[in-house]
Amino acid sequence: MNYLANLLKYNAYSLKGNEKETYFKNKINSLTLFHFKKSAEYRNYLKGLNYKLKEKKNLKDIPFLPVRLFKEHKLISIKKEKIFKTLYSSGTSSLNLSKIFLDKYNALNQIKVLQKIFFNVVGNSRLPMLIVDKKPENIDRNNYNASIAAINGFSIFANEKIYLLDHKNEINYLVLKKFLKKNFKKKFLVFGLTSNIYLNLIEKLDKKKIKENSFINSVMIHGGGWKKIENRKLNKERFNYFLNKKIGIKKIINYYGLVEQIGSIFFECKCGYFIPSNFSDVLIRDANLDLCKKGEKGIVQLISLLPTSYPGHSILTEDIGEIVKKHNCKCYNTNDKRFLIHGRLKDAELRGCSDI
Amino acid sequence: MEIDKKAKYLVGNISKLNNFLKPFDPLIINFLDDFSKILRKESKNLSDLITLSFFCRRNNILKLKNKYFNNDHVSFGLGLLFHITPSNIPTNFAYSLIFGLLCGNSNIVKVPTKNFKEISVICETLNKTLSFKKYIKVKRMISIIRYTNNDELTKKLSLICDARLIWGGDKTISNIKKYESKSRNIDIPFSDRFSISLINTEKYLKLSNHSSNMLAKNFYNDTYVVDQNACSSPHLILWKGKSSNLAKKKFWTNLKKLVDENYNPPVISSVDNYSRLVSDLISKKNILTYRAFNRSLYVISLKKLSPNIELKKTKWGFFYECNIKDLNILKNITNKKLQTLTYFGFSKKYLKSFFQSNNFNGIDRIVPFGQALNIDLIWDGYDITKLLTRRIDIK
Repeated sequence: MNYLANLLKYNAYSLKGNEKETYFKNKINSLTLFHFKKSAEYRNYLKGLNYKLKEKKNLKDIPFLPVRLFKEHKLISIKKEKIFKTLYSSGTSSLNLSKIFLDKYNALNQIKVLQKIFFNVVGNSRLPMLIVDKKPENIDRNNYNASIAAINGFSIFANEKIYLLDHKNEINYLVLKKFLKKNFKKKFLVFGLTSNIYLNLIEKLDKKKIKENSFINSVMIHGGGWKKIENRKLNKERFNYFLNKKIGIKKIINYYGLVEQIGSIFFECKCGYFIPSNFSDVLIRDANLDLCKKGEKGIVQLISLLPTSYPGHSILTEDIGEIVKKHNCKCYNTNDKRFLIHGRLKDAELRGCSDI
Repeated sequence: MEIDKKAKYLVGNISKLNNFLKPFDPLIINFLDDFSKILRKESKNLSDLITLSFFCRRNNILKLKNKYFNNDHVSFGLGLLFHITPSNIPTNFAYSLIFGLLCGNSNIVKVPTKNFKEISVICETLNKTLSFKKYIKVKRMISIIRYTNNDELTKKLSLICDARLIWGGDKTISNIKKYESKSRNIDIPFSDRFSISLINTEKYLKLSNHSSNMLAKNFYNDTYVVDQNACSSPHLILWKGKSSNLAKKKFWTNLKKLVDENYNPPVISSVDNYSRLVSDLISKKNILTYRAFNRSLYVISLKKLSPNIELKKTKWGFFYECNIKDLNILKNITNKKLQTLTYFGFSKKYLKSFFQSNNFNGIDRIVPFGQALNIDLIWDGYDITKLLTRRIDIK
């Protein structure tokens, strides 16, 4: 599994076209074999499918694990004593938590890759960071761990960080004003879940309490989707418009990624597309779980080179997306695949016996 | 009684409810027949509305009366019923109401918040029928409301009713039971149940093509019509007899054809079904083999019948199957959660004597294929006409 160290030497989007395809085919086949050997649960899955490990498969024919399986089962490819960190995530619609087991090697790779991709977008230096959330110790760990994971992941790129909200979920103007006074002239980061940013910076923030143009040099990074603020009938354009109008933020970057695949994250480029890096790929599947054509909306499957301590290298999400059919985007110096995310698959129509 | 602003009346008014009658009162029979006639016109080709309209016809109600009404008894409705109805079957609330009316009761029916077309058509039809002068008394027996998150109202209604019909599964039941009720109040809980099917393979293989297609159609109606999500929709099929592999192949192939032609569930169902399969494969336990015919027909063959099969209750066309040698093996899986057994290839007489001589602690309904969803005045093991009436003992 030393290919990652090698790959980290290059630009995050250096692999292109056929070269990337061949590279991924090799690596994902060997990751599949690796997890087959290391994870009893994964082995049961592949044996159940009658999957032929000896044949090298095309990417589209590599099995995928539905994301909710991480809630229902302990999926692990390392010995218990090697567990360095366990991530929990509630997702949106289930009481069970996703459990992701990391050893030191996998955890370190997540940070390295995240940094590689992050610096590619934001620039190569650490910056002050305003986190639109509570301090992790004030977040209810049982149901809100996805945001902690995101905060922990991103805040390592900060040379200074403050949290916008106090333990009562109120904006801490004192801390905010101090931070802005010190940093407003240079580039700084604003980071948070999309819903938190909307609720606090767009809805709650009292503009009169801060100086005008305080945010003009900031870069905002947000992710996590619109589900929690669905009733506001937002989309990306309106969200960005509100932010720009209210506090003058110009550079707003949406990210997309799974707790089940931290590290191999996707940042929206200037043209509004997500572009897979050297560490990830994306496929879109239809209702029959067959591949969609470019431009067709379907279920998003995410492929990542990172997961080694758990079998999460090929995951079927519950998100809707599409591979962009035609584009003139030259961002990240690549012409390769671009995709869009269109929200989550609608929960099954309310026809459950227990739902009245 | 004052009703909270958060609640919406679809039919009638709670404060006007004050009537009760004898069971199967001619007034109610006339009312239901008129309701049936209007509903048939308004049914907009929704098959469950046509079924409901058929159920309410005078002839059908008279049949029920013959079966369940004893003219020698002096009995009346209990008084006021509070129905908490479920969202898995859009017309369920109407049957609950009709049961209440037939037994001679006034009714407060809380309908699900989901805006089913069926609910609005039924309520409009009820309002039309109630506008006839001759039904002024019936008007004082029906009130249909819709509300959510209004514990205060549930509390109030629980304190004035004589019985609560609680549909909607275990969670709803334990929630409603928290609210105090009158000391003589009767709760009739319709809890989470599961259901199974039994097929005699030898009889099945003798069927003509037409008949075996009909059987598949009946099975389809028991399951896919409600996304396999009714308590009485089977999720486990038991095959008894020789040549079971041949029988299975024929049965599932016939069913697949129907599913391909008629069933188009939302995309999330594909993810649900595939996730279910992977989860089963990972657990590995007790799985002989599986077949994924299409995105809405998965069949998992079990090695043997293990208890707690109800934990595997499925939807969207996901089935388990198992061969059995002897009906006695049903004991392994029968518990109080087992509701309906749909069967093919056994005589009613045989099944009657089998279940009479075995004291099973579960199974409340044993019906032929195609009748799983046919609701009746005996349901979930309850004799509804007895439970919802008060009998005067005269000696």
